[in-house]
Amino acid sequence: MERDIEQLNSALNSVKILRSNVRCVFESVSNGLRADHGEESKESKYILELQELLTIVNNNLRDVENSVGNLTPPPGAFSLGNTTYLSQETTQERQQLYGQLVNSYKWTDKIREYSALAGNMLAANSFNKTYKTYSTTKRRKTQTSNHNVPPEIIENLITSIDRLFTDVTITAKRPFVPNPLIQVALGRVLRAVIAFKGLMIEWVVVKALSEDNDLWTESRYKVFRKVTENCHAAMCHFHSPMMPELAVRSFMHWFHSYITLFSAPCKRCSKHLQSNLPPTWRDLRSLEPYHEECK
Amino acid sequence: MGVTILTQFPVENKTGPQIIELLSKRISALGAVPQGQFLVDCETYSSVPALGHQRTVHVLHNSEQPATVFALLETGTKTIPLATDGLFDLLMMKMSSFYQSKKQTKAESKGPRFEIGDFCVKLGSVTVSSNFKGVLVEVEYKPCVVPAMCWDLIMEFMQGFLGSLGPTTPPSFLQNRMQDIYSPIDTIQQYLEHFTLFRKSPGPALIMRPQ
Repeated sequence: MERDIEQLNSALNSVKILRSNVRCVFESVSNGLRADHGEESKESKYILELQELLTIVNNNLRDVENSVGNLTPPPGAFSLGNTTYLSQETTQERQQLYGQLVNSYKWTDKIREYSALAGNMLAANSFNKTYKTYSTTKRRKTQTSNHNVPPEIIENLITSIDRLFTDVTITAKRPFVPNPLIQVALGRVLRAVIAFKGLMIEWVVVKALSEDNDLWTESRYKVFRKVTENCHAAMCHFHSPMMPELAVRSFMHWFHSYITLFSAPCKRCSKHLQSNLPPTWRDLRSLEPYHEECK
Repeated sequence: MGVTILTQFPVENKTGPQIIELLSKRISALGAVPQGQFLVDCETYSSVPALGHQRTVHVLHNSEQPATVFALLETGTKTIPLATDGLFDLLMMKMSSFYQSKKQTKAESKGPRFEIGDFCVKLGSVTVSSNFKGVLVEVEYKPCVVPAMCWDLIMEFMQGFLGSLGPTTPPSFLQNRMQDIYSPIDTIQQYLEHFTLFRKSPGPALIMRPQ
């Protein structure tokens, strides 16, 4: 395929050269004798020039013949599927369609090419600040799509998380089947409403146990508003399109460390309170509690 | 409704308003915002001798739960708490032939209320039948519902503005209930505990003057 295109290119090129040199011959013929041929034996000079030009054309013609001879003829008519009928369309307004179709085909082709490039670049330069390293063997096992997965897979993930921690109770609701909404009660400390998009976490809101479980209103307590903020940061941190299940699991592991939200003092200053808030940050790796200002 | 810790602040030759002002200044310096006033009152009724073994009913109101009346029935061996709606007051009046109000025992704690972060601080001067008895400081940490989880945190907060006079051990009433979910009636029980102490103590010989 690649070779064919190369040959076609060189054939087109030699045709171009031939055309340009033929043009030179005609130019010279139309101009006739010029002043620069001098006075003496100007006819013979002119004939010589013409002969040279014709030799070049002759050579070029041979090149063209050679390169055309190298081309392999296509095996048969191109199969264009139903689009062939578009070109036979008689209605005036629909005659445009074929051109548009070709254009959009070119576009999608380009998009494929660019996205493949972008995919390679992003895989090489990871944009999130995670400490994770991807092993190539694991990467092959991933699904092609993370936001369009069968509900059973998500269901399994949620039940496995539910089993993982004894002090976490999960109630799931599914207003839209592939995108479940789960409520995670963390002991008697807090409750989070987590919205999934396929296997990825889309939104998290943390509230007190006594508050309603609306996804769109913030908690009325400062401490839970802060924890919500930190959960969003962690959600982005753990986000990994390549391994969505692992991302959810690591997020839940991290989230589980809030079980000591009120009881654990800050690791750095050993105090409970800093600007009237308990340590609302949990280190992403060690899960140790820190104040916002101490981390 | 979160965990509430009630503690007594020693008076030491000062008047009630002086102490309230001192504490108000301290808590405001920490960034607290005044949020109106509060009032907790307690009236005690005892059963008439005709009913046999004497029982006592304490009826309390808390401005934090304005639609609720709390009643604590002391049978001598145990205390039965009850949270009812406002009509309970009228019921007590109907039962005046069985339960009679003890005169000179109406206790109340009232004063300014502050909010700071998720904390709510109330500085109450306590009067028993209009006699000033002392100062009660109430600190509520609203997001948490289990006393054991946030006791250290509340203690740290209280020491922040009460200094060394802040509590170092949980109130005796809460000591057996540290792992339970906290409810408003637990605050009322703490108030009753303190009111009972104030009633027994001779108290500062100061008479509250109208401000």
